[in-house]
Amino acid sequence: MQQKPGLPTQVYEAFASLKLTLFIFLALAFASLVGTLLPQGLTAEQLEQRFSPGVVHWIQTLGLHDLYRAGWFRVLLFLLCLNLVVCTLQRLPKTIKLVRHREEEIKPEKLVKFSLHRQLTSGLPWTETKSCLQETINEAFGGLKPFEGGDKSFSGTAEKGRWSRLMVYGVHLSVLLILFGAMLGSVLGFKGFMNIVEGTSSNEVVLLSGNETLTLPFTVRCEKFDVSFYDTGAPKEFRSDLTIVQGGRDVLKHALLVNDPLEYDGITLYQASYGSVLNEADVEFEDLDGGKVHKMTLPYREIVTVPDTRDQVQIINFQKDFSQFGTAVAIMMRKDGQKAVGSWILADRPDFHGNRIENYKIKVTRMGQSYYTGLQVKKDPGVWVVLFGFTLLVVGIALTFYTSHRRLWVHAEPVAGADALSKVIIAGRTSKNTDGFEEEFERLCERLQNRLKPQDKG
Amino acid sequence: MIDSSLLLSITTFAYLLCTVLYLSGVVFRAKRLLTAGTLCAAATIVVQTIGIILRWVESYGLGYGHAPLSNLYESLVFAAWAIMVIYLVFELRSGQRALGVFPALFAFLAMAYASFSTNIDSRIQPLIPALKSNWLIAHVVTCFLGYAAFAVSFGISILYLVARVRSGNPGTAASVSLLPTSKQLDTFNYRMVLFGFLWLSVGIITGSIWANSAWGTYWSWDPKETWSLITWLIYAALLHSRAMQGWRGKRVAWLSIFGFACVLFTYFGVNFLLSGLHSYATK
Repeated sequence: MQQKPGLPTQVYEAFASLKLTLFIFLALAFASLVGTLLPQGLTAEQLEQRFSPGVVHWIQTLGLHDLYRAGWFRVLLFLLCLNLVVCTLQRLPKTIKLVRHREEEIKPEKLVKFSLHRQLTSGLPWTETKSCLQETINEAFGGLKPFEGGDKSFSGTAEKGRWSRLMVYGVHLSVLLILFGAMLGSVLGFKGFMNIVEGTSSNEVVLLSGNETLTLPFTVRCEKFDVSFYDTGAPKEFRSDLTIVQGGRDVLKHALLVNDPLEYDGITLYQASYGSVLNEADVEFEDLDGGKVHKMTLPYREIVTVPDTRDQVQIINFQKDFSQFGTAVAIMMRKDGQKAVGSWILADRPDFHGNRIENYKIKVTRMGQSYYTGLQVKKDPGVWVVLFGFTLLVVGIALTFYTSHRRLWVHAEPVAGADALSKVIIAGRTSKNTDGFEEEFERLCERLQNRLKPQDKG
Repeated sequence: MIDSSLLLSITTFAYLLCTVLYLSGVVFRAKRLLTAGTLCAAATIVVQTIGIILRWVESYGLGYGHAPLSNLYESLVFAAWAIMVIYLVFELRSGQRALGVFPALFAFLAMAYASFSTNIDSRIQPLIPALKSNWLIAHVVTCFLGYAAFAVSFGISILYLVARVRSGNPGTAASVSLLPTSKQLDTFNYRMVLFGFLWLSVGIITGSIWANSAWGTYWSWDPKETWSLITWLIYAALLHSRAMQGWRGKRVAWLSIFGFACVLFTYFGVNFLLSGLHSYATK
């Protein structure tokens, strides 16, 4: 009577099953697909603008707006690891047994049952037949090891690529390593960014997760930022001249380029973005009532009084490209006892009719700008584990699929009653790539057949 | 004067000729036409290779100096090249001539799309800072070797399904006699998927290592990255089901077709429908 396996065994079997593997693959693929269709990293307000409240509720419950970090997605990845580990525990011992196993003998009746086998007849004397088999197989396939005993017959086996059976575990290990390295990076490392205006320094990193900041163990000073363009107008190079300051001393100078990060103290800095800041602007205020022109320098966001009046002006904002009209500054004016009024003044279009506030026609004659460089800052102690995993993955896949464990058996015995005749059975088996092995086998058989022909003694 | 654009225009029409030759070879069961298809394909590859090298040289003349693998036009040209090179090597090794219709057709379509679409700029453009890296060649070449192998496997899968339908109908069985048997097709399909899977893996990994030095992270769930992973998972599922569950034939053919649909979406769909870090591949 067959016994029903207990629950623990059933669970274990379920985790070792290939159906689970296929399910995880397809589930991960489908989840990833959803993540590419739904914009990621949207805030609650942005979600509410785009979707109805019911949909927003579901998106937030399932964490679809931050899917790759959602709990259930991580559970899927964890299931994949568990599946891999259980499969390995279940199959590796069998494979090792197979790899270690050495055959001592083979029965000819067994060989003729192989799907790949050939029976040949040798016309050579018995001793020559034996040495011919030994030599030909040595040459064409690999070392033939004769089995012990049997003075009336000759049998042996040859094989190559035994280790090929183990390669698939290398691939599976590499997947575990990559996921482990990624976890290491997210637990022990950080990712963030810092914007540094030319000539200033900072050690504050704004982290990408949450709104926290982190203080670096050193300070980064941006000496200069430079962007160059091709004659087509496309950007050619972004370059930040950085100095690392530690303990009050300049310890390192480096020109940071895209694709050429700077690593210092286990922390890596990347050229990620740039922008401009306005320091001050020279502005002409033409009083349309009196006709008088006031030339003034307005420091960014500082309140200045127009000479001979009580009108206060202030640059409150600045845009590099205001609705494709070029550079613009937002100026606010407060007349005595009145409500403040403001307007965007187009610096690149001095004749624009809207360049006025109240009774003033306004013209920006000079903009004192400087660049800031946007640096991505990262610490990831897991990256080496991941890179090792990558290497193992590629080497493992190549060896798993392009090598195989190929075995050959041969058995020969003299035909009773016939003096110089013997019967040869040769059989082969491979762990994969049957077609390639069949060809190799056929070639070997042909070669043997030619050599085992009786030679003319003429 | 001979320049790259002339050679690549010739290439486009030559691949159309290849397609016609292979197709008529199969339809009229004429081995000579198939041989002509092979010769035409080999000659076209030579012309195209010179065209690609000339384009590389010309980019130095313009002062940009980069491998012709930097935008949609150049990647399409390379895709056509890779499909035909992989197919011809396969033809040489397997001795099967009749499978050339689909690869030649795909190569022609890629070239035609690159040349005639008004959305695609065929001029040589300078490299933006993010692309200035030695990883560019390694990443693009490996990815497209993978894509090309999957394209060939897609063609074989379709032939497999067609052959299955026709062989069920004895009256028309003879017309496919130049084609390999179903079992052979299944084996060829598997080999192509394997080859593609290996190169797709290398392509994803080189991209990942590159991203680590350009964007500061080896994986950022950018739509292109994510879709390449989806494609990888589909083909991984195919290989596992074939190796462990013993799936053969029809199911594998359908999975391969599904996998190639993912390849197409990774290549085109992501560019046009989703925004992300790979946006320089759209023009």
